[in-house]
Amino acid sequence: MKIHVYAALKDYFQPEFEVDELVRNTDELKAHLLTINDKAGDILSSCRFAVEEGFIDNAFNLNQHATIVIIPPSSGG
Amino acid sequence: MEDNFARPTALSGEPIDMPGLLSGAHHPGAGAVVLFSGEVRDNNLGREVAYLEYEAYEPLAVSLIAEILATAKQRWSLHTAIAQHRTGRVDIGDTAVVVITASAHRGEAYAANKYIVDRIKHEAPIWKCEHYADGAHQWGNNCNCHAVTGDISKHIYEHNQ
Repeated sequence: MKIHVYAALKDYFQPEFEVDELVRNTDELKAHLLTINDKAGDILSSCRFAVEEGFIDNAFNLNQHATIVIIPPSSGG
Repeated sequence: MEDNFARPTALSGEPIDMPGLLSGAHHPGAGAVVLFSGEVRDNNLGREVAYLEYEAYEPLAVSLIAEILATAKQRWSLHTAIAQHRTGRVDIGDTAVVVITASAHRGEAYAANKYIVDRIKHEAPIWKCEHYADGAHQWGNNCNCHAVTGDISKHIYEHNQ
């Protein structure tokens, strides 16, 4: 699956990258991301996830061909 | 005359045309027009700020701002609800976000304006990066409501306080 990250997450990950391992939900994705960068735990715990321009939760079954957008807390305005 | 909801784009990579937006906000049924301009200041937490840079997840930011405006329109019977947020570099003194509301009386326009600004700041996937005068930069001032609510989707809004 393809991963896109924004803002402060780019201090921990590349803006876009691919995950080849089987991850079935957002909890498993977060766990996998921590194997890439174990310093990202705090910010990942405050992030939301989106697929096809809609927010998802851990009950959402991730498709291995999906594009997952990881969204840190907002800081607009 | 129909309600004025011809909306400009919710996000702009160019300087916000404040006079243009305001000129499109007037309505014969509106006795009150409120304009909020969020502007870039030259300091934050004791550090000298050179400029801000905004990034957005645009598809979701646009749809969320549209939902916020529609909700405000219905809740306060607004004649006009406009919001536009900058992306890219925004210099000191420039507008980062503008919200304009128009209603029959001022109470509704004020309340709706605050509601819209509040929800955009907390919910819209838009982020600011502060660039300081010393050359450093920092993504900052993230919504931290989840530390209190225990839920990353639940926020504490000023308009409810």
